[in-house]
Amino acid sequence: MTSAPPPATALSHDRSGSSGPIERRQRGALRLAALLAAGIGALAWLGRSSDPAAKPLTSGPLTLGAAIAFTGNANLYGQDQRMGLTLAERWAQEAGPPARPVVLQLEDGASDEPSAIAAFNLLIRQGVIALIGPTLSQQAFAADPIAQRQGVPVVAPSNTAKGIPEIGHFISRVSAQSSVIAPLSIAEALRRDPAIRRVAVFYAQDDAYSTAEVAIFQKALAARGLTPVTVQRTQLADNDFQTPITSALQLQPQLVVLSVQAVAGGNLIRQLRELGYRGQIVVGNGLNTPNIYPICQRWCDGILIAQAYSPELNTPVNRRFQQLFRQAHGDRPPPQITAQAFAAYQVLFEAIQRLQRQGGLTDVSLGQARANLMAELLSGTYDTPLGPIGFSPEGEVLQDRFYVAEVRMAPGGRDGRFALVREQGLQEGQP
Amino acid sequence: MIDNGLLVQMLIGALLGLSVYLPLAAGQLSLATPAFYAVGGTLAALLSTRWSALGATADGGFPVPSLLLEMALGGLLAGLLALLVGRLVLRLQGIYLAIATIALVEIVRVAILNLPFTGGAVGIFAIPQPFATAAGYLLPALALLAVAGWLCQRLERMPLGRAMAAIRDDELAARCMGIDTTRVKLSAFVLSAVLAGSTGALAAHFLNTWNARQGSFDASITTLAFVILGGSRTWLGPVVGGLLLTALPELLRPVGDVRLVLFGLVILLGPVLAPQGLITPALLERLGGWGLRSATDRKTEEAQP
Repeated sequence: MTSAPPPATALSHDRSGSSGPIERRQRGALRLAALLAAGIGALAWLGRSSDPAAKPLTSGPLTLGAAIAFTGNANLYGQDQRMGLTLAERWAQEAGPPARPVVLQLEDGASDEPSAIAAFNLLIRQGVIALIGPTLSQQAFAADPIAQRQGVPVVAPSNTAKGIPEIGHFISRVSAQSSVIAPLSIAEALRRDPAIRRVAVFYAQDDAYSTAEVAIFQKALAARGLTPVTVQRTQLADNDFQTPITSALQLQPQLVVLSVQAVAGGNLIRQLRELGYRGQIVVGNGLNTPNIYPICQRWCDGILIAQAYSPELNTPVNRRFQQLFRQAHGDRPPPQITAQAFAAYQVLFEAIQRLQRQGGLTDVSLGQARANLMAELLSGTYDTPLGPIGFSPEGEVLQDRFYVAEVRMAPGGRDGRFALVREQGLQEGQP
Repeated sequence: MIDNGLLVQMLIGALLGLSVYLPLAAGQLSLATPAFYAVGGTLAALLSTRWSALGATADGGFPVPSLLLEMALGGLLAGLLALLVGRLVLRLQGIYLAIATIALVEIVRVAILNLPFTGGAVGIFAIPQPFATAAGYLLPALALLAVAGWLCQRLERMPLGRAMAAIRDDELAARCMGIDTTRVKLSAFVLSAVLAGSTGALAAHFLNTWNARQGSFDASITTLAFVILGGSRTWLGPVVGGLLLTALPELLRPVGDVRLVLFGLVILLGPVLAPQGLITPALLERLGGWGLRSATDRKTEEAQP
């Protein structure tokens, strides 16, 4: 073990000329710094953007890159998305030999911004034709501008924040924003009990999704002349909600509206019921996963949620999707986020096939092929498990069917399902 | 495999590592770096998106001089904050100082989350870009690192740096020798904040978006890990630690889902195998002695001061 000499000895060494340990250490530091600088210079030279966009498109299969969260706190959603993408790949293979084969490359986009940027950069440099991802809207604000600058089409499977397609014309999404969906469940609750006057709202104030969605819930309530009797703020990582629940219940709410992530939401519902709340509960998109059943168990029963996907939609593609899902993951209905990831792959796959048949992928550079694909993607309509969808010229999804579901738990309270209670048609292109 | 975007992230890691190193060189375990990083980043994000005098164009462009101005302002604001806070928290030592600086990180995070003009949890997005590609960010990041490195190298010879080393080795003895320990510790703290603030301003543009999650307790631990792995006794330690630990998760991508397990192993094994960090003063002395004289000569010389 060598530690720095105390300053007094250092001084005496110093005066003895260029041979003292301080001198030697400084010279060593300079040498190492020069070495590092040379190394960084070499890395910068080697890693300079050898942009594959200028190269001609090869005739082999095209690569779709997906950067979704396998690690970090969004991995609960990422795992569901991985299922959807793999199922979509199988679905595409089963449809017979395609006009243009497509391979999927999955990368971990983690749950933070720098990782999403790194995953996007990596996939773009590998010459993918289009990108799927990232999982979180906050990551999209960081990574999507990079794809936009390099002209790579992006289809977001789960970004619901406002302003995602507005990042640029190469950015689109198949996930309807919460402003479209969220008010439907409030409407259903009020239809069931028009006498509701006292509403309590809970949301996680440090979560982008929650703060955006709760604003929409509040607007929907205001549009019906309801002002919440209390708005309780929680934190993303909270799991004990006794205090906010107690103070909310003192105001005797007739309806509780929650906008929190899955795990926190499951606990919040359970604690609400345990502390004696008997009224209706409306929840947001964060609880749109069967993963909440084991958390709130029988207390989940009866909660209302608006969804962009219903397993009960009876169309050929949705039946096929369900069949594939049940084959791979057992007898349970697929979650919305899996269906949306499936749809993201499907729209890109179908657009590529159409473009191939039109000749838009022959004798072009990769950059041109990407631009052609984006134009083709936006111009088409798609029959997906979500129902028929299309895109606005900005890349916003146009979906005209939404659903309100009620959670019905099985008698044991261990498992349940989202039972469809209302299907709602919307005007296309409504913001 | 390392593209320019990742290289910029590595340089930002190295800069944050240096920012943790500076107070540590004066014996102060401060975890406040992410707070100053967040202050600099938020300032740059706000200025570039709200203040049109800086010259952000409609298509998302941004003049480079304005970026440099933001980096200077970010450093200045962070330095002022450090000056105010440092007077209070630097009365504490060791683990108590660490806790107080964690509290500072948390206060800044919650403030950014709740201020009416910082965009709440979504944060500020569509930050204009001074460079068309990630390669453009290399130059300002390298320049900032070079300045910071030069300063740290100079510190070893300057009275301030020597006073810092004296306080690190024994604060009581240093005070007995007439060193104004409060002033020296505060100087190191402010320097660290200025560096983190400037880095934050650069990072805000590089990341395209800025939110309260950038300066979290997690970031405190990550930046501390840079210093632990790289070594806390020379300024090159945190630089090497920051470069390596930022690059490693990306370089491990080929191994698939277990990459973070391997990354964790490296963090675990690093301090076990190299308790002083990768870059130790002894290593630098060996490196500096190469080619000058044989090892035996050096030993005899050291034996007779």
